[in-house]
Amino acid sequence: PHPTSLHSLQDIRNTVGNIPMEWYQDFPHIGYNLDGKKIYKPIRSKDELDMFLEKMENPDYWRTVQDKMTGADIKLTDEQVELVHRLQKGQFGDVHFNPYEPAVDFFTHEVMIHPVTNRPADKRSFIPSLIEKEKVSKLVHAIKMGWIKPRKPKDDTPTYYDLWAHEDPNSILGRHKMHVPAPKMKLPGHEESYNPPPEYLLSEEERLAWEQQDAAERKLNFVPQQFRCLRAVPAYARFIHERFERCLDLYLCPRQRKMRVNVDPEDLIPKLPKPRDLQPFPTSQALVYRGHTSLVRCLSISPSGQWLVSGSDDGTVRFWEVCTARCMKTLPVGGVVKSVAWNPNPTICLVAVCVEQSVLLINPCLGDKLLYAATDQLLEAYAAPEEERVQPVRWAPASPEEHTRGIRLLVHHDKAVKQVTWHGKGDYFASVVADSGNRQVLIHQSSKRWSQSPFRKSRGLVQRVLFHPLRPYFFVATQRYVRVYNLLKQELTKKLMTNCKWVSSMAVHPAGDNIICGSYDSKLAWFDLDLSTRPYQLLR
Amino acid sequence: AEAVTTLCVRRYAVEDVPFSVPAASETTDLSHLINKLLAAGNADHKYVEFDFLINGQFLRMPLVTHMEVENISTEEVVEIEYVEKYMAPQPEECIFHDDWISSVQATEEWILTGCYDQTARIWSLEGKSIMMIAGHTEVVKDVAWVKQDSLSCLLLSASMDQTVLLWEWNVEKNKVKALHCCRGHAGSVDSIAVDCTRTKFCSGSWDKMLKIWSAVPTDEEDEMEEAANRPRKKQKTEQLGLTRTPLATLSGHTEAVSSVLWSDAEEICSASWDHTIKLWDAETGDLKSTLTGNKVFNSVSYSPLCRRLASGSTDRHIRLWDPRSKDGSLVLLSLTSHTGWVTSVKWSPTHEHQLISGSLDNIVKLWDTRSCKAPLYDLAAHEDKVFCVDWTEAGLLLSGGADNKLYCYRYPATASDVGA
Repeated sequence: PHPTSLHSLQDIRNTVGNIPMEWYQDFPHIGYNLDGKKIYKPIRSKDELDMFLEKMENPDYWRTVQDKMTGADIKLTDEQVELVHRLQKGQFGDVHFNPYEPAVDFFTHEVMIHPVTNRPADKRSFIPSLIEKEKVSKLVHAIKMGWIKPRKPKDDTPTYYDLWAHEDPNSILGRHKMHVPAPKMKLPGHEESYNPPPEYLLSEEERLAWEQQDAAERKLNFVPQQFRCLRAVPAYARFIHERFERCLDLYLCPRQRKMRVNVDPEDLIPKLPKPRDLQPFPTSQALVYRGHTSLVRCLSISPSGQWLVSGSDDGTVRFWEVCTARCMKTLPVGGVVKSVAWNPNPTICLVAVCVEQSVLLINPCLGDKLLYAATDQLLEAYAAPEEERVQPVRWAPASPEEHTRGIRLLVHHDKAVKQVTWHGKGDYFASVVADSGNRQVLIHQSSKRWSQSPFRKSRGLVQRVLFHPLRPYFFVATQRYVRVYNLLKQELTKKLMTNCKWVSSMAVHPAGDNIICGSYDSKLAWFDLDLSTRPYQLLR
Repeated sequence: AEAVTTLCVRRYAVEDVPFSVPAASETTDLSHLINKLLAAGNADHKYVEFDFLINGQFLRMPLVTHMEVENISTEEVVEIEYVEKYMAPQPEECIFHDDWISSVQATEEWILTGCYDQTARIWSLEGKSIMMIAGHTEVVKDVAWVKQDSLSCLLLSASMDQTVLLWEWNVEKNKVKALHCCRGHAGSVDSIAVDCTRTKFCSGSWDKMLKIWSAVPTDEEDEMEEAANRPRKKQKTEQLGLTRTPLATLSGHTEAVSSVLWSDAEEICSASWDHTIKLWDAETGDLKSTLTGNKVFNSVSYSPLCRRLASGSTDRHIRLWDPRSKDGSLVLLSLTSHTGWVTSVKWSPTHEHQLISGSLDNIVKLWDTRSCKAPLYDLAAHEDKVFCVDWTEAGLLLSGGADNKLYCYRYPATASDVGA
């Protein structure tokens, strides 16, 4: 809009153009008009003071602007001020402009029956894109030709790093790994106390002895001293000395690693032998020996293995041939037979049978004729000693009727005999009587017809006795313990602790090293005599 | 179906061409086949049962199962031998004794048994008691014939009284006389065996020794020397016959000797309770070799036909050994079927593959070594333990035991078996 000027109607349109008017700041003119004549600024130019006064006093200051073309102040009309205000608010300049004209649809919002276009979809809208196929094939070709390298697939495997791969074992770090700890110092004991118990204080002789000993020999490096209270304890004079000696020990003495014994616990478990190695053991029944009419209480087998003798509650003793189960002889003995024992000496043919209150020595006359004839001769070659010894039992030779049956000697006891057993050499035998005193166990010598009661004091109810097969030991099993006596020295050697309440039976291995004890509380204790008095194994 | 070639027996020969037989055929089917072939060739052929062997093993199950078990390929031609089927032995006689029978030995005409009533008896083959030989003071454990001719026979009886008595039996007059009393053993004499020349015999006993004695009866000159040496005895029993001492004693066993036999002219084989079988040279008395087992040997038997030793032991097996083997403990075959100790074994005198065994489980079993899994027949006539078994060449099987009975069975004497 062209400037309206109140001052002149002359055409003073500035032809300077759109240039910053600061260029004409210092000049008296503000531009040129159409004729080329200078347009001079209004004469009284405004200085600061004037401008300030105007600002303060002129009520129209706020609507006065300076015209760039002419340099004159122009007061804006009300419409112009309104226009400015609208523009500042961001509205449209034109007053009459209505920005909220109703929208005129160029299409309709209602759904019509006919579509705008009824063109069918192109095939390319549902088949794979041909353009992309081309692009892909170009890419593939590029990859094949090597112009484009495909991205390497990400390797998900974790990579491991060995931290110690390049380590030098001899380095200082190696020494740290193979650390040999320093030998430990002795912890302070009662001697180091400031008020030790009186027994730790050295007496005069001990102190003199201590002083005379060499410093290296002494057990204690100091003399234990006693003080009234902790306050009275002086400084320890040898402190630095001791620390120095410790340091010397630490770096001078070669250290030795305490070698731990590398024992595989599996090695300690003894290897169980294969059952085949343990044979012979009974596997199946082979023979049944029939003949007894009542309980068979006891068995014994001859040393050669050809004959078996058994005693039963029906009052008979029967002799069997082992390999055929033939009963060779039956001997009625007139009482319940509690125990039989065949003499283990292979040159003597004798069986000891305990029947109620007596022990019968029977010659079964089986086997080698010479042997049993020799046995008879041996028994008859007995010469009675001049003086009658006092014996706890009565020896009697067999009556002729008994002799024909095979019985040779009878040993009459006071009470019922529970068990009889022979010594390995075949001369002595021991019998257990159902007594409760010291006369429970009796040892007899068949060749001399002499008996003795070896124990002065009774130690419990004797269950079984046995002789050691090789050595002069005598085993007496009472209800809880087995006592081993040395026959030569006539003293108790050992007392084996079976952990059983009531021992029922005992047996010794022919080699002589092991004993097993069975008990009524279903335990079997196996003792190794060389090992200890406790069972080597307790089997339940 | 596989192809099969059959081999011929002289009597029952068929053409040697391959045949195709169904896979599931059994012995009866194959038997029918052979019979048809024979009938086609021979008009008056009677039906005969055959038994079939493949690779030396009897066919006991369907052909295809047998070949699977034995890993025989069905692609190739398989050779099958056929033999006449061995029929079951038929029980013939039962001879009653007074006590347990410990031993039996039979010849063509007579049966000799040893009994636990301290006597030995002679019987005819029909079961008639001919003679009773008493003289021992203890149980008779073993008996043996030395020689027989029509007039008189020599026989031996070994007993638990540690002696062996040599008897002469006059057949015509039916009288028996003790010629010699062989003393020397220190224990019960459990077993005797006469050698093939009939001049010597060997005895094994509980005193772990073997003794060789002369079996030739001698005259009275010996008595003069013996009289001075005879030890004084307290109990004077009648001395039966002249005392005889052994020619040699063989020691080496650590336990009782249960059974002895002569395997050769100068070789003795002894089985013992110390789990070994030892072979001795009778001339020098040296131990030749030892066969070791795991359990007590109760009995041995040797067959010159197949040169094998059969042993019966307390672990219920019968083992076959080769006595000539160098390493000395090779068990060739183990026959297992008994459920009790095998107390006696005997090879067949005619058939090289057959043997019988008696056991404490009351059964006598007839075995063919070609079929080693099961015996051919079980003879379960005894009611108690069987102690002894024997064969005769004429076709009798004998077994005696603890039920006091001696059973005789007739077995068909077949033609000897096929050669390969």
